Amino acid sequence: MRHRAAYFAFDRFPSGKGSAVHIAQMADELFERSGGGLLGVLGGGGLPGYQREGAREIVRFEEQIPNLIDRAEAYSAWAAALLREHVESLEIVHVRDPWSALPALTAEDRDYKVVFEVNGLPSIEMGHTWPWASPATLGKIRELERFCLDRCDAVVVPSRVIGDAVRRLGTAAEKVHLVPNGADLPGETARPAGAPDRYVVYVGALQPWQGIDVLLRAFARLGDLADLRLVICSSVPERRAKPVRRLAERLGVADRLDWRFALPHPEVAAWLAHAAVSVAPLTGCARNLDQGCAPLKVIESMAAGVPVVASDLPAVRELMADGEHGRLVPADRPAELARAVRILLEYPGEAAAMGARARARVAGGLTWTRSRARLAEVYRTIAPSDR
Amino acid sequence: MTRCTVTTGFFLLGRCGRAAVAACPGCGRPVCAEHAVQGGYCPSCAAQAGGPPDPHDPSFASAYRRRYYESSSQTYYDNQWYSSFDSYDRGAFNPGDDYSYGEGDFGPDDGTGFVDS
Repeated sequence: MRHRAAYFAFDRFPSGKGSAVHIAQMADELFERSGGGLLGVLGGGGLPGYQREGAREIVRFEEQIPNLIDRAEAYSAWAAALLREHVESLEIVHVRDPWSALPALTAEDRDYKVVFEVNGLPSIEMGHTWPWASPATLGKIRELERFCLDRCDAVVVPSRVIGDAVRRLGTAAEKVHLVPNGADLPGETARPAGAPDRYVVYVGALQPWQGIDVLLRAFARLGDLADLRLVICSSVPERRAKPVRRLAERLGVADRLDWRFALPHPEVAAWLAHAAVSVAPLTGCARNLDQGCAPLKVIESMAAGVPVVASDLPAVRELMADGEHGRLVPADRPAELARAVRILLEYPGEAAAMGARARARVAGGLTWTRSRARLAEVYRTIAPSDR
Repeated sequence: MTRCTVTTGFFLLGRCGRAAVAACPGCGRPVCAEHAVQGGYCPSCAAQAGGPPDPHDPSFASAYRRRYYESSSQTYYDNQWYSSFDSYDRGAFNPGDDYSYGEGDFGPDDGTGFVDS
């Protein structure tokens, strides 16, 4: 099978994480434009190693290599071999991380354009996930980022904050294109089975920068609202929740929590739609401030028409306005977070109006359709399809 | 009726479900006419074999030879970056270390990407 386009991501696909929704949208746009394509992603967890869907081929990297860098190196070599097979026919290769970008950019005889999608900078983010990595080691990762940013034909970022971070690394401004995240407006959803009467919802992964500890401390301050429960729709498996559960027990809120793990994406929409408030308590750390982020949970909550209480970070301000679509509160301040949630609960009329305005905001400018049109524009700029 | 159990779908995965016509000689799963590759293999096994799975197929020897020579003469030679990463650098990324969070409990049911919004 000959492909004109390929998309590579060092991420399992599909999965319950926000990143998978993003990959699905971006790769779908690329493959629709190119009449099919090759998708190279991580496998495991019972996913098939190879799939063919019409003119699309999905190939999954399945080596179980414990050390992250060893695994990334083997993945890069795997991607390089796949690219070699298709080097003559490829016109666009879209990569989602430096481990995919390196083989795409260094392939011999490449005639294709490389679009580098930067959702985060490992040199910043890995300092959080791998605290034992020395500054010198992270510096080497920064060199890799610079190398990939210099050589690629276009950089796609989901938020202005990430765009600024990329420009600070020396990337030419005209190469950087903003393609914001989006959400599809869900229709009427049935109340999820087992949903409490009144609940606050958190949707997402459980890394320290998500600020779930702040949320739990805030929730402890709402103890007088006896009927209020906190639903955590975790996108990661149950054993990752251990530290959060321990903290909940220590704060005495464990019995007011409802956990759901790795729900399929459509079910999450129902949990959001029936919540009183959705929270995005992102912390004010380097990962969220310097690197930037584009929290899908905020956009998806807005699309579901539920008022959001989120941390007042530049990346969040790009998506919603305080008092209009929900409330923005200072990051890492449980008392402020609790107060904002309490006020929204006390004024359900105003909260519903905020939810409705948030939904209208998504409908007017934050849909996947719009994001995909922007991405298509990037492809057209670098690789006119009449080649 | 036995149904085809090949995984299909792009974002939301499911089983094919059409009537099976063969059992894959590689993994034994039932495969429908649509998904059966030459010799009744399922797409996964056929792709793993990397070509016509039947050694009696006239093209088998040449395909195998070509693949072998290609892969043995071209190693992924990266003098750009990975070679700059020594054992000290790599040592910080072992799973199960006390403080590692993201990939800390590397396992088959974990997503292993590094960026999550």
